Amino acid sequence: MKTFKEILENRHAYAKDWKARTGGKVLGFYDTYFPEEVAYAAGLLPLRLLASHCEDALTDRLMYGNCYCTRDIFNQFMLGRYDYVDGLVSIESCQWWYNAFDTTLIEFPELWSHYLFTTDYVDARTSKDAVFSELKIFVKRLEEWIGKTVTDEALDNAIDVYNKNRALLRQLYQLRRFDRTAVLGSEVMEIMLANQVMDKAEANVMLESLLPELEARAPQEDGVRLMLIGSETYDAKLEKLVESLGANIVTDELDNGTAYILNDVIPMKNRLMAIGLRYLGKPHSALKDNVWRRRPEHIYQLYEDFQADGVIIAKQIYCHPHGSDMYAVWKLLRERNIPYHTFERDTTLPYEETKLGVEALISMIKPGMTRLHGWSK
Amino acid sequence: MSKQIWETRPLEIWGKAKELRANFQKAINEAAASPNSLLAHGNTGGVDWSVGFDGLNVVEDNPIGAIMASRSDSFSREARLASEIRGWGRELCGYVNNCWGCQFLGYDSPDGAPFPYRQLSVPLPDPCDQHAKRGQQCMDLSPIPRFGADWPMYLGPIDPERESALVEHKVQCILHVINEIERIFGKKYDDEKLFNVLDIVPRVQVLVTKIAQLMANVPAPLGLKELYSFYTLSVLTKIDPQEMLDFWKAFVDEVQWRVDNKIAAVATERYRWMEAHPSPWHFLRYFRYMEQYGAVCIGSQYSHMLVEPFKLNDDGTIGREEQVKVPEGQKIRTREDALRSIFREARGERFKDDEYFRKHVITDFAKAFHVDGAIMPLWRAGVGCTLTRKEQGLRLSEMGVRVLHYEGAQPGDRTDLDEHDFLDRLDIWMESQGLEKLA
Repeated sequence: MKTFKEILENRHAYAKDWKARTGGKVLGFYDTYFPEEVAYAAGLLPLRLLASHCEDALTDRLMYGNCYCTRDIFNQFMLGRYDYVDGLVSIESCQWWYNAFDTTLIEFPELWSHYLFTTDYVDARTSKDAVFSELKIFVKRLEEWIGKTVTDEALDNAIDVYNKNRALLRQLYQLRRFDRTAVLGSEVMEIMLANQVMDKAEANVMLESLLPELEARAPQEDGVRLMLIGSETYDAKLEKLVESLGANIVTDELDNGTAYILNDVIPMKNRLMAIGLRYLGKPHSALKDNVWRRRPEHIYQLYEDFQADGVIIAKQIYCHPHGSDMYAVWKLLRERNIPYHTFERDTTLPYEETKLGVEALISMIKPGMTRLHGWSK
Repeated sequence: MSKQIWETRPLEIWGKAKELRANFQKAINEAAASPNSLLAHGNTGGVDWSVGFDGLNVVEDNPIGAIMASRSDSFSREARLASEIRGWGRELCGYVNNCWGCQFLGYDSPDGAPFPYRQLSVPLPDPCDQHAKRGQQCMDLSPIPRFGADWPMYLGPIDPERESALVEHKVQCILHVINEIERIFGKKYDDEKLFNVLDIVPRVQVLVTKIAQLMANVPAPLGLKELYSFYTLSVLTKIDPQEMLDFWKAFVDEVQWRVDNKIAAVATERYRWMEAHPSPWHFLRYFRYMEQYGAVCIGSQYSHMLVEPFKLNDDGTIGREEQVKVPEGQKIRTREDALRSIFREARGERFKDDEYFRKHVITDFAKAFHVDGAIMPLWRAGVGCTLTRKEQGLRLSEMGVRVLHYEGAQPGDRTDLDEHDFLDRLDIWMESQGLEKLA
C-alpha cells in the first residue's frame, strides 16, 4: 500500500489514476469551507488544490500582490500539472482565492465552474438559510453537469465517509497528546495534506490500518512542544525543521489542519442543511471570524489541550486575513505569557533564517521547562 | 496650426461643498462630546439606513484614514507604527492602519484632537475582505456592541433562484441591527426618515449620472482631482438628505453651465485618461503634473461610484443599469418594506463588484469617455484595491487604450510609493505616445 507521503508527493498521478479507475470527474477547490460531502455524493473527487514550490514566470501577467499559494496554484494550471481537473469551485472566502479561480478560468474557459457563496457573517440568524439555498443550487448545477441525481442515500454515504475521516484524523492528532506523543508533526501534516487530495473512502481504509501501527509505537522522548498557527501550508518542511532542533509541532490551528477535522456533520433529515451547519459551525478562519473574535480563544484551547510550550506563527506574505488577525492573536499570547515566534513565509521556506528564529524560540522556552530537567519526576 | 486654449475657472459650488464637509465633521465632534449621541463604525451599503436614528453619526475608518494620509505624512506614519507594533500586518489597507493607530494613540490629528471613539460597530460588508474585517478593531479596543451583515456574491447574470434567500438574508441582518440598536441604546428609529431617503436617493442618482455623462464632453468640465472633492458627499460623508439633493442639483447646473460655455478643467486638453481605483491621496499633485501635457483625467469607476451599476447606453453614453424595481403601486408602509426595497438585489452595485460579475464595465467606461489612456495603480496592501487590476489593464490594452501601471503600498499609505519614479514613468508614458510637455 502506498503511504500518505507518497500520495502527497505524487498527488497528480493519484488523481489521474482515480479518474482511470472510476471514470469519475475531478472537481478542484481552493478553501476548506468547500462542503466536499456534496461533491463526493455526486460521485466526484473533490480535490483540494495545493500549492507547490516551483519557478513562476507566468502569473505576473494576470496577478499582482497575491499570496504565493494562489499564484502557485494558477501557475500549476498554466504548467499543465492540473490538466486532469474537470471543474473548479470557488467558495466565498479570501479574495486571493477568488483571483486564482478567476484567472484560471480566463486561461481555461472550458473548465466547468461554480461560485458558491457561503456567508462571511456566519453568526446571522439567516446565515444557515442562505447557505442552504446556495447548496441546493450547487446540487442542481452539479446534477446538470454530471447528468445524474444526487440522492439522499449518496449524501448520507458522503456524510458518513467524511465524518469517519474526520474522526480518524482526530485520533491521529490524539497521538501527540502530552502523556504519549507517538507521532511527529511532519508525519501528521503529510497525512493531512495527502488526505485532502484523496478519495476519503480510500483514505479511511489507509488510516484504519495505519493508526494501530502508530499507536503501538514507543512514545517520543519528551521535548519542546510547539503549536503552529497562521496561513495555510502545503508541505511539512517547517515541521521537519522544528524536529531537527529537537522539538515537535504537537498541534496546529490551520485551515488544512485542525480546522479541517474538528467538527462533524450532525445527521439530519435535511441533509444539505446538516452539511451547511457543519461549515457554519467549524472553527472559523481568520477571514470568517470577523465579528466576535472567537479564533484567539480557540487557539488557546488547542494550546492547552495539547499542552504546548510555545507557538510558531507562520504567515504568508500578503495574507491579509491573517494580517488582520495577528493583533488579536499576539495580544492573547502576550496576556497569557505564551512564548511565540512570528515569521512570514513566501514561495519557499527561508531555511537558515527560519531555523535561527525557531532556535531562539526553543532556547527561550527550554530553561523554564522543569519537566525536561527532571525536577518534576 | 494654433492650439486650442479653453477657458478655465474655479467651481462656484466649492464653498458649499466645504461647508457640508465641515458640518459633517462638526456633527462627529459634537457627537463624541455629547452623552445623547452615538458614534457608529461602519454601515451596510445601499441606502443609508442609519439616517433613521436621531443623533447617530457613522464614522468609517475611511475617510479618516485617507484624510490623514493627505494631511500629514509624519503623523500618519506615527499612527501606522502604533498599529504595526501591535501586530497589524503590513499588507493591511493604509486607511485602517492610519485610523487604528489613531485609536491607540488616542488622537486623530497632529494637533491632538481626540479620536472619535465609536460606541457600536457594524463592519461594512463588501467584496473587499479588508472591509469585512474592518469593524473588529474598534470592538477590540472596548467591548462595544457589534453586528454584521453580508455582501452576497455569485457569478453570471441575475439568478432569481439565488436571489430570494440571499436578499432575505441581507434584509434580516439589517433589521436585526436596527432592532438591537433600539434595544441596547433605547433610541427610537424613525422609519419616516428612512422612507424619505428612499425617495431622495434615486433622484440623486439621476443627478450624479448626469454629471458623469457631462464628463464625456470635450473639453472635460472637471478633472478627477475636482471630482474627488465631491464624490463622498452623501456616501462616506453623511449629510442631511434634502441638503444632499439640493447640493447635487446645484452641482449639475454648474457643470452643465461649464459644458455649455466650454469651461475646461485643463485649458490645453488634448489627451484624456481614466483610472479605476483610488489614487494616492498624499500625491494628487500628479494630476497637475499631467496638465503640462494637456492631459485630463475624466474619472474612474471609483470617483463615479454613485452611478453604479454602469451601463453603456446605445448612444454611447454612460448610464445607470436598471435595477430590479419595487412592483408598481406597492406602497412602502413598514421598515421591512423599506429595507426590502433597498436590497432588491442580493449582489451589490459598487465598483468593486464589477470585478466579479460586471467585467465589461472597465471597457464600457473607456468607450463612453473616449479615453486615450488609463493609469492603473497596483496597490500591494488592500486586496480590494488590487484584485483584477492586471486583468483590467489587459482588457483595456486589447481595445487600444494605453495602460500605465505603477506600484505603491495603498492610497492611504505613502511608504512604498516612489514619487519621483512615478513622475518619470508618466513622462516616459506620455512621450511614448508622441506627446511632449507644452511650453
